[in-house]
Amino acid sequence: MDTWKEFEANELTHSGAHHLLAIHEVGAMYGGWARVSDIARLLNITRGSVSINLRTLKKRGWVETDEHRLVRLSPKGRKVVHAVMAKRVIVKTFLCEVLGVPEPQAEIDSCKIEHLISHSTGERLVQFLQFLTSGAPVSRQLLKQFRAFHAVCPESRTCEVCNGQCLIDELKHAI
Amino acid sequence: MSADGLDIVDDLNRLMAEEAEACLRYFHMRFRLREEEYALAARFFEDAVNETLEHAASIAEQIRSLGHVPTLRINLSLGGGPVRLEAALGEALEVEQQALDAYKDLLPRVAGDPVLEPFIRRQVEVETEHVDEIRDFVKTNGVVKLLPREA
Repeated sequence: MDTWKEFEANELTHSGAHHLLAIHEVGAMYGGWARVSDIARLLNITRGSVSINLRTLKKRGWVETDEHRLVRLSPKGRKVVHAVMAKRVIVKTFLCEVLGVPEPQAEIDSCKIEHLISHSTGERLVQFLQFLTSGAPVSRQLLKQFRAFHAVCPESRTCEVCNGQCLIDELKHAI
Repeated sequence: MSADGLDIVDDLNRLMAEEAEACLRYFHMRFRLREEEYALAARFFEDAVNETLEHAASIAEQIRSLGHVPTLRINLSLGGGPVRLEAALGEALEVEQQALDAYKDLLPRVAGDPVLEPFIRRQVEVETEHVDEIRDFVKTNGVVKLLPREA
């Protein structure tokens, strides 16, 4: 039951992921180089915070700086950014296309977990999406049936999924 | 007020946030130093707290004199645990250098303004002095390897 500690052990924090994505976005307009001020403006935080956070990213070998204090992604950092962006697309596609989550919510949720899921889970999600969109009768049928499916809880409020406690009730009562 | 005037108010709000955030960092930082290093640097950080707070207040006054209410946006969560003086001063230098760069960036945009230009020019001088003070402190106490000074 120590899985929650994995969250803390994650090398790439949510803040770190957004800094790397911001460097990528700003740098795209200036040959890969980004100014701390532009990163700060994009993330809506102070330059001081950006500068402090960049120290950690630099230590990890994800960013490089020059003598004018410009910043760019290292080759290793670019790989991290591409992986994060890919996972965001994968999760968002899954949420929108399969689960039918509205796009704005899917955008928010995919942003929250893009850097947390493992590469192998990302790969399996892609394979699952490929299966569902393969056009095979069984996958078409599965998707069609899922979209038409409306969960109805039994009187007992427990089913095979919930196994003793109604999860939908838990979500409804969540803050 | 013109669009450029509003942009300048935005920039002043950002500068105020830089100073206020730096103030909180310094406030917190000194308490994370170990005993011996705390004794060495507590006064230094206390002065920095006062100075950054004064700067934030003077920027807020400038925003008010332009007919606006200052907007302070800070998103800060500072971790606990002890910190070495070397790391603390390294962080202080980063923060001060960024504040100095922010004032320098704003200077050409307020050129010709009878109030803002001398104010920002003065802030550039003060921040430059402060960066130098930190460098001197570091040099005197020999705690950190410094990056070469910018030409």
